[in-house]
Amino acid sequence: MLPATKKWIFLRISSLILLPLMFWFIVNLVNFYDKTYIEIVGFLTAQPNKTIIGLFLVFSYFFSALSISEVFEDYIKDEKIKNAANKALNFFAIVIPIITIIVISNLGT
Amino acid sequence: MENRPLSPHIQIYKWHISSLVSISHRITGIINFFAITLICLWFAFMLLGETNYQIINNFLETFLGKFILISITWSFSFQMLSEIRHLIMDYGYGFELQKTKVTGLIVIFGSIILTILIYLFGRGFV
Repeated sequence: MLPATKKWIFLRISSLILLPLMFWFIVNLVNFYDKTYIEIVGFLTAQPNKTIIGLFLVFSYFFSALSISEVFEDYIKDEKIKNAANKALNFFAIVIPIITIIVISNLGT
Repeated sequence: MENRPLSPHIQIYKWHISSLVSISHRITGIINFFAITLICLWFAFMLLGETNYQIINNFLETFLGKFILISITWSFSFQMLSEIRHLIMDYGYGFELQKTKVTGLIVIFGSIILTILIYLFGRGFV
């Protein structure tokens, strides 16, 4: 299978998984953004919220990394800059969700 | 791939609904990346305790804070509807010129309606 085909399949599958997660997340974000500290920590640490947020973060960064790399592919001519941009993107797409999941796991402990 | 042609600058072509939706899809994708990162930072602030959280909470209750939240909601809504449009197109539907215009308009106006509905639903008005 061509790498581009594989990338396209990953994009479509992650997009399909992300749709309900994104809807759930944005409705809850609108709901809890002005709640008290205790209420928000309670929401983030309760199950299944904690798991859904973790999945949302993993899939949204995975999807974003794939789709933004397409933008780099289309608009950045210099190969070195493109590679550096892709590496930085992939780094943040892995590190940020991991740190956030650890943060949420440690909330309220 | 070396010498791969780049996309031409967006101002070269005459604007159509489909090109507007396409470029907006990419822009909202990048906005969402930064929006989710900001939300992650917000969660990280909570780990520092209630006092630090209060600083962000005070900001979110200002006009600018609410504007940012509604903009993020719109950006997510647009991305969701545009992604559904892409998935439908992947099955081979909606490529006719008239249909691309109609589905494009559905994405544009639907994202505004969806933002209002999410806001009303999320705030418990519905």
